[in-house]
Amino acid sequence: MVSMTDPSLPPPEPRTVRIWDAVVLLIVLALAVLLVRNVLLNMENAGLQPGFGFLLDQAGFDVSESLIPYSPSDSYARVVLTGLINTIVLAAVSLFLATLIGVIGGLVSVGPSLAGRLLAAGYVELFRNLPKILVLLIFFVVAVNALPPVRQAISLGPIQISNRALYFPSLEWNLALWVLMAAVLSGGVLAWAWRRWVMARFARTGELLPVAPVSVGLLVAVPFLAVLVFNVPLVPSVPELKGFDFEGGMRVSLQFAVMAAMLGLYHGAQITEVVRGGIQSVPSGQFEAASALGLERRQTMRLIVLPQVLRIVIPPLNNQYVNLIKNTSVGIAVGYSDLMSVVGTVINQAFRPIEMMLVTMGLYLGLCIAVTSLLNRWNTVLRRREGNA
Amino acid sequence: MTRASTMARSLFATPLAAFLTVASGVFMAWLGWHALSWLVLQAIWPWQPAELCAKRSGLCWPFVIEKARLILFGTYPFDQQWRALAASLLLMALAVLTGFQMIGRTRLRPVTFFAVWIAGLAVAVVMLGGGVPGLRPVPSVFWNGLPILLFLAIASIAGAFPVGVLLALARDRDSYPVIRNLATIYIETARGVPMLTVIFVGVFVLPLTLPPGTSVAPVSAVLVALIFFHGAYFAEDLRGGLQSLPQGQRDAAKALGLGYWRSVGLVLLPQAITRSLPSLLNSIIGAYKDTSLVVVVGIHDLVSTARMSFNDPDWRSHALEAYALVGIWFFLSCAFLSAIGRRLHAQREKDPLQAS
Repeated sequence: MVSMTDPSLPPPEPRTVRIWDAVVLLIVLALAVLLVRNVLLNMENAGLQPGFGFLLDQAGFDVSESLIPYSPSDSYARVVLTGLINTIVLAAVSLFLATLIGVIGGLVSVGPSLAGRLLAAGYVELFRNLPKILVLLIFFVVAVNALPPVRQAISLGPIQISNRALYFPSLEWNLALWVLMAAVLSGGVLAWAWRRWVMARFARTGELLPVAPVSVGLLVAVPFLAVLVFNVPLVPSVPELKGFDFEGGMRVSLQFAVMAAMLGLYHGAQITEVVRGGIQSVPSGQFEAASALGLERRQTMRLIVLPQVLRIVIPPLNNQYVNLIKNTSVGIAVGYSDLMSVVGTVINQAFRPIEMMLVTMGLYLGLCIAVTSLLNRWNTVLRRREGNA
Repeated sequence: MTRASTMARSLFATPLAAFLTVASGVFMAWLGWHALSWLVLQAIWPWQPAELCAKRSGLCWPFVIEKARLILFGTYPFDQQWRALAASLLLMALAVLTGFQMIGRTRLRPVTFFAVWIAGLAVAVVMLGGGVPGLRPVPSVFWNGLPILLFLAIASIAGAFPVGVLLALARDRDSYPVIRNLATIYIETARGVPMLTVIFVGVFVLPLTLPPGTSVAPVSAVLVALIFFHGAYFAEDLRGGLQSLPQGQRDAAKALGLGYWRSVGLVLLPQAITRSLPSLLNSIIGAYKDTSLVVVVGIHDLVSTARMSFNDPDWRSHALEAYALVGIWFFLSCAFLSAIGRRLHAQREKDPLQAS
C-alpha cells in the first residue's frame, strides 16, 4: 500500500466506477444468465429439477473400498464422503512418501557419491518426461501381472502380498486403542512442554538441559506406562487366509498401493529437484563461517544450513503438495474409489453433472487451500523466528 | 596417482559415500539385469514366430510389429491412415518450429508466425476430418492415437495462450477492481482443482449450457475445457513476466503517447513473453503430458490405443511392450521440449540484459 504522507507521490485518483469494469461485469452477468437459462431448459427437457436434494437419494452402487461403513443402500452424499475420505487418506500417505523420497533423493543428488548422483539424476529425468497416467498404468499392469493371486500370496513374515491387495498385521480396533492414542498424544504434549521449559530456563540462567533424549523418552515412556497402568489389552490381528480372501489385519488394496507408489515417485522426483536446488543455494561461505565459529558438523547443518534450505524450499514444496492432492484424481483410471471416480459414477447414474461438479471442485479447492494455508503459516512462523517477518 | 584410483577414492571417500555407491550400484545392476533380460535375453525377435511370446517373458517384437499401427492411429480407417500420419507430421513440424522460434533459430515475424500456426492447425483438422473433395469425412471419434494427442495438446496450448494473455492483463490492471477480481477468482479456481474435474465439466456440463437441440462432439468439448484450464496457468506465468518489467517501461510508453492497448502490444507484452518463456515452457510440458488424461472420458489418445492393443485376448500379457512404446514417444518429445528450455536458460545466462 502506498502511504498517503509520502510527499513524492501524486494524490490518489478519486474512486469512481470504471466504465470498463461495468461493461465487463455486464457481459459476464449476461453470459451467466444465458447459460443458466439454457441449463434450466435442458434440465426441464430431461425432466430434472435443479438442486442438491438428490444427494439424499439412495446411491445403489458399491465402492471398491471404504474407510467408513458404506453400503449401496446409503445416500449419494455418503458415497461422496466415502470418496473424499479415500482421497484424503491417499493424499496424506502419498505426501509423506513423496516428501521422504524427495528429501532422500535431494540429499543423494548433492551427496558425495558419484553413482548416487547419477542414479538420482536418472530418476528425476525419467519421471519428468513421462505422463503420470502412463506411469500409473505401467505400475498397475506390472503389479497385476507380477504378483500372485490371493490364494498364492507371497508371505513376508506376517505381511501378505497378492495382486488384489496387501495385508499387514495390525492391532485390533477397540476402546483400548483410543487410550493408547491419547497416551501418545499426551507424550507429545509433555515433550513439547519440556522443550519450552528448557528454552525458557536457558534464557534465564544460561544453563542448557538435554532436550532430544528427554523428548524421545517421554514419547516412548508415556504410552508404555499407559499400557501397563490401564492394563490395555493389545490384541494383534494377523491376516489369515480364509476361503477366497484374507481376514484380519489391515488391508491395503492394490489400487491404493499403486496410486501411492505412483504419486510418491512422481512427486518425489520433483521434490528431489526442489530439495537439491535448496541445498545448492546455500553459499559455501556459510559452511566456512560456521566452522570458523567453531560449530560442529551437526550443529552447522541444524543451525545454519537447514533454516536457509527450509526458507527456500517451502514455497515450491507448497506448490508440489497442491499438485499432488489434485493428482490423486487420476485414481479413476485404475478404479480406486477416490472422490473423482465416485463422482464419475454418480454423474453417469443420476445425471447431475452441474451439482456434482460444483461439489467436487469445491471439495478439491477446499483441500488445496487447507494445505496451502497450513504451509504458509509454517513459513511465516519460520520467518518470524529469523526476525524477517 | 592413476585416474582409476582417483575415481575409486572419490567413490569411496567416506563411509557414507561408500554406502551410497554400493547401494546405487546394486540397484542399478538389478535394474540393468532385468532390462537386459527383458530387452535381449528373453526377447522374441521379429523373425521368430509369435507363438514363442507365450513361452518367454521378454519383449515380444511380433506383437510390437503387429500392433504398431493400432497404437499409432487406433481405429482411424485403415486405408486412410496416411492422412493421420500427415496430420501428425504437420503438428510435429508446428511444435518444432515454435521451439526454434523460442530460441531464435528461426526468426519469423510474429504475424507470419501466427499465420503459419493457424494455417497449420486448419490443415491438420481438414486432413483428419476430411469433408473436402478428395478426402472422405472421418468423424472425430475415430481420430485416435498420436494425431489426437498432438492435436489436443497443440490446439489447446495454442488456444490457451491468448486466454492466458487476456487473463494476465486483466489481473495486472490495478485500476479496474472488478476486472482484476474476476480474473483472480477465475485463475485461482482453475489452478486449485484437478484437470480431470475441468475435463468432466467440458464433457458433461458444457453441453447442458448450450441452447436445447445443439450438441457438441466430445473432442471439441474437451478442447474447450483444456483451453480454459491451461489458460489460467499460462496467465500466471505471463503475469510473472509482466510484473518483472521495470515501472519505467510503462511510464516511457505513456510518455510516448501510447494508449493502453498499444503500450501493451508494442512495449509490455513482447518483453513480458520473452521473460516468462522458461516458466511458460514448463507449463507447456506439463500441459502436453497431462493431455493423456483424456482417456478417462473415452478419447483414445496414445495411452488408450496402447490399452486397446493388448485387450485382444491373444496378446493380454504384452501390456508392457505397448506402454513402453508410448513411454519412449513421451520421453523423446518431452526431451525435445526440455532441450529447448535448457537452451533458453543458457541464452539468458549469456545475455543478462534480455533476462533481468
